[in-house]
Amino acid sequence: MLPVCKGIFLLLGFQLPAQSSFDSLKIKLPKHYFNTVIAVDAYRKKEVPFSDTSKALSKRLKSYGIKQFYVNFYTPLATKSWMGADSISKNSHLLLTGTFVSLRPVFSGITDHNLVKFGIGMRYIYNTGKKGVWFADVSPFLTRDVSSPSKPYYRLASTFIYSQNESPNFNWRLGITKSFQWGNRYYLPFIGIRVGRLDKVNVSLQFPRSMSVNVPLNSKVILSLYTRPQGGMYNFSNVDTLYFKSSDATFHFTRYELNSGLRVDVRAGSHINFYLASGLSSRNNISFYSEGANKNRPIANYNTYFYKVSLPNSLYVNFGLVLVFGKTRSYYNEKNIYDAADLNNVIGAPNGNIQVPLPAKNTSKQNLESVRDLVDYNDI
Amino acid sequence: MKRFFTILLFLATFFGPLRSPAQQDRNKVEALRISFISKRLELTPAESEKFWPVYNEYNDKLRAIKRNLRTSYHKKSGELSDNEAEELYQLDVQSKQAEADVHKHYSERIKGIIGVKKTVKLRLAEEEFKREMINTIREKGD
Repeated sequence: MLPVCKGIFLLLGFQLPAQSSFDSLKIKLPKHYFNTVIAVDAYRKKEVPFSDTSKALSKRLKSYGIKQFYVNFYTPLATKSWMGADSISKNSHLLLTGTFVSLRPVFSGITDHNLVKFGIGMRYIYNTGKKGVWFADVSPFLTRDVSSPSKPYYRLASTFIYSQNESPNFNWRLGITKSFQWGNRYYLPFIGIRVGRLDKVNVSLQFPRSMSVNVPLNSKVILSLYTRPQGGMYNFSNVDTLYFKSSDATFHFTRYELNSGLRVDVRAGSHINFYLASGLSSRNNISFYSEGANKNRPIANYNTYFYKVSLPNSLYVNFGLVLVFGKTRSYYNEKNIYDAADLNNVIGAPNGNIQVPLPAKNTSKQNLESVRDLVDYNDI
Repeated sequence: MKRFFTILLFLATFFGPLRSPAQQDRNKVEALRISFISKRLELTPAESEKFWPVYNEYNDKLRAIKRNLRTSYHKKSGELSDNEAEELYQLDVQSKQAEADVHKHYSERIKGIIGVKKTVKLRLAEEEFKREMINTIREKGD
């Protein structure tokens, strides 16, 4: 028993002075590993006329384009870090997330519609400290056509993923997600593979979210070639009587497209990042369905459409600004935190992985100010 | 779209100057230092998993102590009263003590993770990087 007691006293005797002398200075260290990030994004897709006008509604709608604006944010609410018995640092993170989307589908034959989506959610990340990261996201939201009288509609997006970092160069992910990005409300399997380090050239396949080749050109610019679905399900006012039953005030509008293009992320500073992307939007689909009518047909699927059409390819342009607030703990070379930052980027605000530090290459152009924390008077 | 660009311009003007070039340089130096140490240490994946969280925590604390002391000196750079001088003196002594305690505490933890040889290698790498930085600044000054 005595050696054990001795051990405990030694441990306490060794640990307490370090902590108490530091605490006596009353210095506040950052609590969280994640910054508060706000991403503002504008997306525009060129208006194209309907090629097939055999459907009566196609004739009425005439053409289709997209003007979309969204604000996305996440902020850490709580962080817990502890040391496991195996000397492995583990941590868990609770984040508050939010989304505001204003989507204006441009149909030249009918009045303007502003379809708004607003949601507040929660995200939980658990870093096992070894190879795995657990990620859960729940984002309830409301959609409403604010341009005309309509009632809001509630939906729930959610994602649950396990991410395994076999090494800094190889990661796989498995999970389930319901994102509405494919214009439906199915739970889809999430399958992800990344080859290459997050802070270097990497190829990432994150079905059903994105596929990309990312190339950091230097510590400030990242170039990406990507393919990503974009879409959603929105409430649409029946003010133009697109649905024959004029007594139905709203119906559902779904859309999805597959965007393939080039994106440039620029880290203008520690607190600001912007990106510009452009490319070709293919597999453009839109559809309308009436929930009331589908409910009255018990054997019909929820998405039995009264109008569905595929549209020709078109060009798109996407511009975004990412604002980063606050200070975080250091997490250099902590591959699981990099991975969690990437999950935030894939699932939430597309921030270009602003939180993953890119390696700097040259030692020139340094000044004394920049190495102040490293040097003592006697060193010079 | 016009509204978006107006907002963007406003935000860029607001956030642009928040960090001075010196602050950005410090982040770059930190990234360089970490990369330098990584190369020198040649950690195994198992060591890496345990080492970096501890080393990052150690650096956060050490940096915070230095900055706290520096800021306190800057704040009271004019004529000092006896009380202020005493406070600064006490803070200086406490800070040096805290630095030594933090160094000892984390060195032991690091030694437990990567062994004594690599711990010494780490200190050598830190010194070597510091020297390299000072030489870079000297060359720039010449």
